[in-house]
Amino acid sequence: MTIEAMTGFADQARDSARAFRRMLDAMARPGRILSLEPDFDVPAPLLPAAAAICLTLCDYDTPLWLDASLSEPAILDFLRFQTGAPITADIAPARFLLCTPGSALQALAGAHRGDAEYPDASATLIIQVPSLSAGGRLILEGPGIDGEQDFRTLGLDAAFWDTMQDNHQLFPLGCDVFFASASGISALPRSTHIKREGHA
Amino acid sequence: MTTGYNFAYLNEQTKRMIRRALLKAVAIPGYQVPFASREMPMPYGWGTGGVQVTASILTPEDTLKVIDQGADDTTNAVSIRKFFKRTAEVATTEETAKASIIQTRHRIPEAPLREDQILVFQVPIPEPLRFLEPRETETRKMHALEEYGIMHVKLYEDIARHGHIATSYAYPAKVNGRYVFDPSPIPKFDNPKLDSCAALQLFGAGREKRIYAVPPYTQVKSLDFEDHPFTIQKWDEPCALCGARGTYLDEIILDDRGKRMFVCSDTDHCRKARSGEEAA
Repeated sequence: MTIEAMTGFADQARDSARAFRRMLDAMARPGRILSLEPDFDVPAPLLPAAAAICLTLCDYDTPLWLDASLSEPAILDFLRFQTGAPITADIAPARFLLCTPGSALQALAGAHRGDAEYPDASATLIIQVPSLSAGGRLILEGPGIDGEQDFRTLGLDAAFWDTMQDNHQLFPLGCDVFFASASGISALPRSTHIKREGHA
Repeated sequence: MTTGYNFAYLNEQTKRMIRRALLKAVAIPGYQVPFASREMPMPYGWGTGGVQVTASILTPEDTLKVIDQGADDTTNAVSIRKFFKRTAEVATTEETAKASIIQTRHRIPEAPLREDQILVFQVPIPEPLRFLEPRETETRKMHALEEYGIMHVKLYEDIARHGHIATSYAYPAKVNGRYVFDPSPIPKFDNPKLDSCAALQLFGAGREKRIYAVPPYTQVKSLDFEDHPFTIQKWDEPCALCGARGTYLDEIILDDRGKRMFVCSDTDHCRKARSGEEAA
């Protein structure tokens, strides 16, 4: 049996504070891309930026769901050891859902949306995407955006964006989504109105 | 670090819990997110909510400014500034333009805020409906149903009794067209600054265990009536120290024979105006 060294933030308090500020800025300014490149190695295919979000926000209070492509033993061990979050096989009870474009629709459709008196009880999705600069153009409007903001991602299909628009219609209910690429993050909270070219 | 405290005082699990609440607060503008507020080394009413929010967003690179009623040199502001200087070793400033995080009790600085700044409010009673409906179960339902009729009745009763809306601080406003919120006991003079502000605005209520937020560029509309539109306070005279008009003035009693003067409540803004600097 081999035990691989699994390091997290070198200076947990300060590094996670820096990571959180990027995440807070991302959520406060939907669609903006912010760099997030943590100083630790993560087991592939987990992206460092997605791992940094998990290590900053997840703990024993937050059931975490991972899609099949990310449910590698090395990743599960890494996240269990670093965060202590219970890994759940069901989507509904998860507070955080770590997914890829292939599973994003399933996760978004099944995730907890909060309830009318506690809309904050909803889940947060972390979607690993190949790029935040290529792909079809979306136009964002809403709180945090001065006028309009462009947004691009690769790999997410029309059915996913339909569901994201439904998610916005549910406001104040709904899920909030972080997108993580190789070097950065961006966020789309439920409050953001998403317009697609060629769609209403 | 030799203080024996974790960076920014709070332990990491507490910060994660508060950080999760902050992200949800930003995602649902104006909605009060419950959080597991901790006991802090200061009494309730001295900014325990604001301090917990600041501790959770602070990074070593930040420059912190703390004001109490606009002033940097009052007990509350001085002690909170020293608290973070000691536990987080961050730089502090009294200049609005140089701060990246501004924790405030009951004022918004006169100088316009920028995108790279965050304003943290200390909130005593986060629930705008609380004095009209004491039951949390009921106010929660009213927010869920967007049922804000009693707030308009309260403002109407002001008009019926006084001829105008007499509420002059903690003036209720609607955020992003959905949640009515309490902007903390800032004078209504500051309400227009909440609207479409470039900076992120976070609110922490320690005793009441609530966090809420107004994201940048978000509509904040003070409640009013078509025939009684929202207005802010105005003064007949300028600041007695810097001569500024259009700033919020504090009344200072000079003797026991009715002599008094009005001076800017924002001490940094007033100082800059007097020294001839551009109050950025």
